[in-house]
Amino acid sequence: MLTIAIAKGRMQVSALALLARAGICLSEDAVNSRRLAIMDESGQYRFIFVKPADVPVYVEHGIADCGVVGRDVLLESEADLLLPLDLDIARCRMVVAAPDPEAMTNVQGMIRVATKYSQIARSHFGSRGIPVEIIQLSGSVELAPALGLADMIVDLVETGRTLRENGLTVVEEIAESTGRLVVNRASYQLKADEVSHLLNMLTAAKS
Amino acid sequence: MGAGFYFSTLQQMTSRIPAGMRYYIGAEARLRRTVEDVAMSVFEGWNYEEVITPSVDYYDLFEQGMGQREAQRGFRFTDNDGRLLALRPDVTSSVARMAATLLSERPRPLRFCYAAPVFRQQTQSHAEWRRENTQLGCELIGAGGKAADLEVLRLAAEILSRLNLQSQYCITINNVEIFNGVAAEMNLALWTREQLRRLIDTREAAELQRFLRDYDCREGQAFSQPTQLTGKRDVIQTARRSITNERSVAALDSLEDLWTEIESLGLQDSFEIDLGDVSSLDYYTGLSLKIFVHGAGTSVGRGGRYDGLTGSFGRSEPAVGFVLNLDALTEVLGRKGKRS
Repeated sequence: MLTIAIAKGRMQVSALALLARAGICLSEDAVNSRRLAIMDESGQYRFIFVKPADVPVYVEHGIADCGVVGRDVLLESEADLLLPLDLDIARCRMVVAAPDPEAMTNVQGMIRVATKYSQIARSHFGSRGIPVEIIQLSGSVELAPALGLADMIVDLVETGRTLRENGLTVVEEIAESTGRLVVNRASYQLKADEVSHLLNMLTAAKS
Repeated sequence: MGAGFYFSTLQQMTSRIPAGMRYYIGAEARLRRTVEDVAMSVFEGWNYEEVITPSVDYYDLFEQGMGQREAQRGFRFTDNDGRLLALRPDVTSSVARMAATLLSERPRPLRFCYAAPVFRQQTQSHAEWRRENTQLGCELIGAGGKAADLEVLRLAAEILSRLNLQSQYCITINNVEIFNGVAAEMNLALWTREQLRRLIDTREAAELQRFLRDYDCREGQAFSQPTQLTGKRDVIQTARRSITNERSVAALDSLEDLWTEIESLGLQDSFEIDLGDVSSLDYYTGLSLKIFVHGAGTSVGRGGRYDGLTGSFGRSEPAVGFVLNLDALTEVLGRKGKRS
């Protein structure tokens, strides 16, 4: 049996649809119940639904053998995991956005960046030698530049609508993010047959 | 500020334990001792002599022995004369120096074993929270070739089965020269070589294929399908279809020879070939191995051949060894014991 951790929210819907195409089905009742751990209909897979940032934690510790989570979360967590499959679901972009479209060319001295993704922001600006003060927020990051808390933000965008409505434009794209299948290093060896079976089924369902 | 406040902060200071440190009490301490005794008695059965190395040594030693990246994880402080010291982050460096200097006249091969705590200020991953780990390890110095490689693999397998982990463990083996040969053939710069290594290490299939597309080199294709890197003898057959450079082929030959020996000992169910194990390329020079046990989320042991190490202490000779993590093994066995 494999335990698979799924990121709750946006990712969960597309992940379950992909799994269903691969022939791994969860009963409607179980999904709609409030239980956080459910078995699939074949009894070969146990699913746990956790907050996105917790997926790498469960998988890295080997409590879950596999996980489905966005690349943005993986970059932020810096977890030591195997990433054998890009599932091509829940596509979005990690960007730098600012009120001034020329913000990146007008950098002076240092900049203040508000974000939920402090690791990603720090390493992005760090690799370019731009000194930054990272202001860690937990939501509504788009507000920060308008209120003068920060010069720029680093955030995830799908359509860009929230950015526009708050007077921000994308000044740089850091990375594209899609849902990934991640695998624990020990499970990859110890449950090699089950993991490669899952990989093959998902690869087939993807295309 | 009142006296009460002062007392409570003082109490807090003395009751706190640093991250990554722990106690073992009663039954758990006994179990841990038993695991250690089993390993040491297996080593002794194979004529490995116990060695106790200094807990504190010059930082330079570990930088020479483990490479800068690993050594930097150690706890560091200064000696009276200002030289940098470290609380040992590994034992192998010290044993290699001893073999090359203190024991340079002793007839070869040398066989040493140890049970010793090692310390890392920075852990390698989030799942390895411990900063003090006891290594059960052995080093076979002055012996090269298949027989020596096989000896340490058999030792590891024997310890695990004596711990009643028969059919619950998996030892993966690889030869780092397979990757090195391909990377040389592809003529990669240091940075792109590291990029390729990382993509193989994390098995990022799509990114690997994109990376390899930029290089007009058939040999690289050997790594393009991560799922084909792990398995039994067929993994080597598959790799041979795209790898033809002399260096990698020699490594594939010796890995296949080793696999034949493993099969003739009937151990093939507990072993896997993993050509994707490219995690410590700067360190190992031939065989590399990792040890996994059901119930542990990370590897519980690793090892390999490091023919380059003793040379940096003035006497170049072949060497091979491995370590098991006593604390991780105790945790797995403790949980199994509670369940049964």
